[in-house]
Amino acid sequence: MIEDKLLIFGFKKGRCEALRQIYDKYKVDLLKLAVVLIGDVNTAEDIVHDVFVRFAQSADRIRLTGSLRNYLVTSVINRVRNVLRDKNRHCETSLEGADLLTSSGQGPHQWAVLSERLALLSRALRELPYEQREVICFRMEMDMTFRQIATRQRTSANTVKGRYRYAIEKLRALLNSEVEK
Amino acid sequence: MRSADKIKRFFKDAELHIHPDSDERVFEDVLGAQRKTTENAPAVPDNVWRITMKNPLAKLAVAAVLAIVCVTGISLWMGTQSGIALADVLSRIEQVSAYMYQMSMTVAGEIVPGRPVNHEMTATALISQEHGVKMTMETVDPNSGETIPQEMYMLPQKKSMILIMPGHKKYSQVEIDDTMIERMQKQNNDPRAMIKQILECEYKSLGKSTIDGVEVEGFQTTDPSYQAGAFGQVDVKLWVGLDTWLPVRSEIDMWVGDNMHMQGVIFDFQWDVPVDAAEFEPVIPEDYTTLAGGPIKMPPINEENAIQGLKLFAELTGQYPEKLGLMDLMAQMGKLQDSGTPAGEQLREEFKGLDPEERARKILDTMMPIQSLGAFHMLLVQDKKEPAYYGSIVTPEDADQVLLRWKVAENEYRVIFGDLHAETVTAEVLVEYEKALPE
Repeated sequence: MIEDKLLIFGFKKGRCEALRQIYDKYKVDLLKLAVVLIGDVNTAEDIVHDVFVRFAQSADRIRLTGSLRNYLVTSVINRVRNVLRDKNRHCETSLEGADLLTSSGQGPHQWAVLSERLALLSRALRELPYEQREVICFRMEMDMTFRQIATRQRTSANTVKGRYRYAIEKLRALLNSEVEK
Repeated sequence: MRSADKIKRFFKDAELHIHPDSDERVFEDVLGAQRKTTENAPAVPDNVWRITMKNPLAKLAVAAVLAIVCVTGISLWMGTQSGIALADVLSRIEQVSAYMYQMSMTVAGEIVPGRPVNHEMTATALISQEHGVKMTMETVDPNSGETIPQEMYMLPQKKSMILIMPGHKKYSQVEIDDTMIERMQKQNNDPRAMIKQILECEYKSLGKSTIDGVEVEGFQTTDPSYQAGAFGQVDVKLWVGLDTWLPVRSEIDMWVGDNMHMQGVIFDFQWDVPVDAAEFEPVIPEDYTTLAGGPIKMPPINEENAIQGLKLFAELTGQYPEKLGLMDLMAQMGKLQDSGTPAGEQLREEFKGLDPEERARKILDTMMPIQSLGAFHMLLVQDKKEPAYYGSIVTPEDADQVLLRWKVAENEYRVIFGDLHAETVTAEVLVEYEKALPE
């Protein structure tokens, strides 16, 4: 936390090295989060690219009340939701029913290179409704409590627990042999 | 090992690697964005608007405008429609001639870009159907520790709103026009805005609970159309006593525009309290002076003044406001700093030469017509006249483009164009106009 506060201090002073350190510190986590949430590497890269560019433009107005990591993660999640909402707007469906974007293969200029395991996980998560996918990411990647997730998803902790339970059951079925390795 | 633990381990072990060449290209973009922003950022010491806003009297002027727009907003947000549920609560409140409540609220964010605020406010409100509203407020700035007491009166019979600031021996008086009075009178025949707004939104029951020993049932809305969509994210909860069917507590969490976050609790309701008319007669000591050198006249909320507001904003900043929310308009006044228009430059020069009191007056003079524009738009939203505003894509040079439109009759719309002339057109013609809007 203190390290982040120093980085933010340097960043707000316009120091390039502070921005570089923030970028290096969080890019992998943010890309991984975006990939598992949206299921498409290219779109995930665009989202994280956009998050960092917007962040870089915000030095004079950024005010962090929580952690830098949470700020960046929230930025990614908001953009993922926007992308899915835009995609589904014409269908007038909620995020609950939002479909993942078509996954694309690794291109020659790919920024993120997925391990076999992450690709497998991403494919399995694609089988889950978006809200369940978010719950899994919040729990697994960010170690958030059900209550914290409920606040983020603006629903009850019980609903979140239900989503988590369904998601785990489905993932267990989908990844059964892999998780035992 | 449990399934969840195994999956968690799988999750943690799922790796992602970065391609170094692409990574450098991405970082160059990020760095470029930072450099561009730094180069374009105006030097802080030159920011007359921000400096002006640091001035204590300017803060008071802003506080006065805020109180005015909030009260304006409150009265406008009081709709005249009723819903089909919670109707018992409404009918109970309609029988109450006067009531009181306590309020605790925090406001964090930026009203003016670059001037973050983080205020805590406590207030006691007394609402009388006959006499109006009296609110005693205390605002604490956690940064400075400064406490600012204020008293606000909204007096329909006297057609005025009065804000008294004892800490500074200042007061401001705003004359309210007939449209606003009419709205306020409707409000007086109508109960709490919050219930009406919840009724007009999608809401759900939170079930039964107990608050301070009182059995209650809760209702919640997170519907973005709450208060005619004037806010962003909202989360409003209302707890109603099972015995009395009157509100016991309400909780509000909402974003105003993009930059202001408000969280508040309204509690300790007291119903049918005895009211002395003298409580609604503001006492202004002789040594208090007005903030604006006299009563402020709130421009009538109509099309003509909305056009004047648009014209003034464009003259000062070179463009139309992107959004017409009351707080958004205030935030967008920050554009004045970068304005190269003759009117903008002139205003900046005038600010430099003014003493603090004159600056405060100037802020009020500048903001009132622009806030009248915001109030006009809110009225259109409230009355469900299908307003659409295109200030983010239409400029003063786009003479024939639709800037603002709203429905005036079946198949007829009123349109204010980019050059600020107005016409009434059929729905078919409007469709053609809107097709031609810039991307």
